[in-house]
Amino acid sequence: MKFKINRDHFANGLAQVLNVVGSKATMPILSNVLIEADKDHLSLTTTNLDLGIRCRIKAEVKETGAVTLPVKRLAGIVRELPNVDVSFDASPNHSVKLSSGGSTFRIMGIGKEEFPPLAEFGDEKAYSLEQGELATMLRSVAYAQSSDETRYILNGVYFSFKDGKLSLVATDGRRLAVMAKEMEVPAASAGSIILPAKTVAELTRLLDKGAKVKINFNDRRAAFQIATDKDTSGLVDHVYLYSKVVEGNYPNYHQVIPKETHQRIKLERELFLQCVHRAALVCSEKANSVKIKLTSNLLEITAQSPDFGEAHESMAIGYSGPDLQVAFNPTFIMDPLKALTKDEVFLELKDEVSPGVFKTLESFVCVIMPVRLS
Amino acid sequence: MIRDLPTIIHLDADAFFVSCELALRPELRGEKCAVGGRERGIISSASYEARACGVYTPMPTQRALKVCPDLIMLPHTSGLYGKVSRQMFDLCETLTPLVERNSIDEGYLDLGPCAFADGSVLEARVRALQARLWDELQVPVSFGLATNKLIAQIASKLRKPRGFVVVPPGTERDFLAPLAVGKLPGIGAKTEAALNARGVRLIGDILACGEAELESLFGSGWRGVLAAARGEDEREVHTEHEDAKSYSQQETFGADIGDFGEIERIAKRMIDELLPKIREDRKRARTMTLKVRYPDFTQESHGRSLAAATDLEAPFYPLVAPLLRAAWKQRRPLRLISVRFSGIEDGAGQLEMFAQTDEKRRRLAGVLDRLNDRGRTAVVRHGHQLGAKS
Repeated sequence: MKFKINRDHFANGLAQVLNVVGSKATMPILSNVLIEADKDHLSLTTTNLDLGIRCRIKAEVKETGAVTLPVKRLAGIVRELPNVDVSFDASPNHSVKLSSGGSTFRIMGIGKEEFPPLAEFGDEKAYSLEQGELATMLRSVAYAQSSDETRYILNGVYFSFKDGKLSLVATDGRRLAVMAKEMEVPAASAGSIILPAKTVAELTRLLDKGAKVKINFNDRRAAFQIATDKDTSGLVDHVYLYSKVVEGNYPNYHQVIPKETHQRIKLERELFLQCVHRAALVCSEKANSVKIKLTSNLLEITAQSPDFGEAHESMAIGYSGPDLQVAFNPTFIMDPLKALTKDEVFLELKDEVSPGVFKTLESFVCVIMPVRLS
Repeated sequence: MIRDLPTIIHLDADAFFVSCELALRPELRGEKCAVGGRERGIISSASYEARACGVYTPMPTQRALKVCPDLIMLPHTSGLYGKVSRQMFDLCETLTPLVERNSIDEGYLDLGPCAFADGSVLEARVRALQARLWDELQVPVSFGLATNKLIAQIASKLRKPRGFVVVPPGTERDFLAPLAVGKLPGIGAKTEAALNARGVRLIGDILACGEAELESLFGSGWRGVLAAARGEDEREVHTEHEDAKSYSQQETFGADIGDFGEIERIAKRMIDELLPKIREDRKRARTMTLKVRYPDFTQESHGRSLAAATDLEAPFYPLVAPLLRAAWKQRRPLRLISVRFSGIEDGAGQLEMFAQTDEKRRRLAGVLDRLNDRGRTAVVRHGHQLGAKS
């Protein structure tokens, strides 16, 4: 196997697949990237058995073939090579000679036979979405995923294709974010999956390479084909991401979204975010809450920690309802505000023990549970 | 702060548990008696008459009865000591608001804010308090009056029972010098013996040592020991009650128990008795540790944490059997078990979304706590206690 390649293209390709490899791979082969040379391109593949990524990059292939190399070291070397022209020459004993300008590396590889193949999909449920749109939806909900391993069902984002819309949901049991988008859902293709947190992170990172992303899934796994038509660093075709899904039943999230609206206020997102952020500067691990108080046309945010001090912020708002106060974990308020892009958000409150609800005009809902006022 | 009056007072109730019991049974006054577990328990408090026979705390009751065969054993009266303690400190607060409750039977007062004209007025007021504690509660209390906590504490323990030792300002060093080094806090019996062996017997001997010698005697903490020997102590009297870091309960069985189900039931009863206290303090606990002790006093403990802290019993019940299996490895009956809750968090509490059951349980627990007087009596019990032997 022999090819010539542009250093930056090679580095870009390796960067796409690098994150999948953990620091503690269970088998040596899982620390490696499978490099396959074919016609006018290379395929680069990594997997940790739960999650796999494959991308294709342009190359001048002189002799087809395949080999696997430790991906972290290889990526480090390729980035540092002195010349933009790189030649790659693998011998039948899996030793690779990498040369660029005046530098030459010899790297020991492992044969491709040991590399676990990525599952290819057949007749699964399939949808096509805009990459930018899916990325926005994921960002709008991903922060609410749980990282508590004892609640593994919540360690991911729930995708539901049902009733003429795609809903993305994440919750950690204390807050819940939902973003929905209307789309055609044929009865035969309706269904849902829980995409694991790691896959969500990788997918979100990859969704800026082109126009469309195609998603296929069944009960056990999901695959994403991410078009690379907007990429200018050597990627061709699409990036293929394969993942197992979290198996189990997602909780009935509809029941925790309040059905009635009590007090609704319109907020300037950036301004509110800054106020909460400043107030939260006095919070501590033990006193991690900010109190929101609504009075006539005024919103006040206060926070205090007994061993440090207190903060008070006020904002003029349009409000004529009854006086009301409720406390929240400041992170729960700031996360959705940071993830959203619209200038205005709506916040609905009822009383000190009822959830607060953020909404936008585009089918976004984030429910946050209060902290009991002492 | 330089004090020109001995305004820091340490009070230390004499044989507190026994005194509380004797207040209810004055006919036993002057007898050798002790409060503690019968047969297999330990002595938790002994009258001065019993102490004269060699009974001390904590001493296994069996041994105490050997050294003092006519010892009258009084069982613990649940709730009594806490109640008397509260009354005792409430009376102290009639003298000054600065009262630090150090433990159930000792504490510090700061009379600084009372601005007494001179030492004799101050002394008279403290003596009046001592008399009032006896008149109203029949609890003898020893007092130490000094310019700081360290001296006051040493002074109060100097002439028990019913001691009243005043260390006038400026005489701290002279007061300490002739006392045995073991009187200094932090110097236990072993350290004292080691110091004696090297010729340091009295607190005054410490002052005669050079720096290098002090370092070899006390290690890196020598400066603190030297300051204490000089009678220096800057600690203030704190009125804030420190939050509990753990909640625990232990029980020595009347006879060794070998039945898994019975031990499990006792552990669950302890959970039922501890959680109301945690709820009362508006706290939540995350970790439960179960300790088992065999008849030869070897012991083992195992603990496990929940994903999130809770103030409910239910999440801890499923941990009992696995923890007991992990701790109780030797196939022998047990003498004692204890249950301890740690990882204590403030109860203010983040509300949960999918926790309707928890909220129902919390409401139920609130009702049960009121019925059961916060775990002190068992008007309503959990089903798992049915079939318990006691």
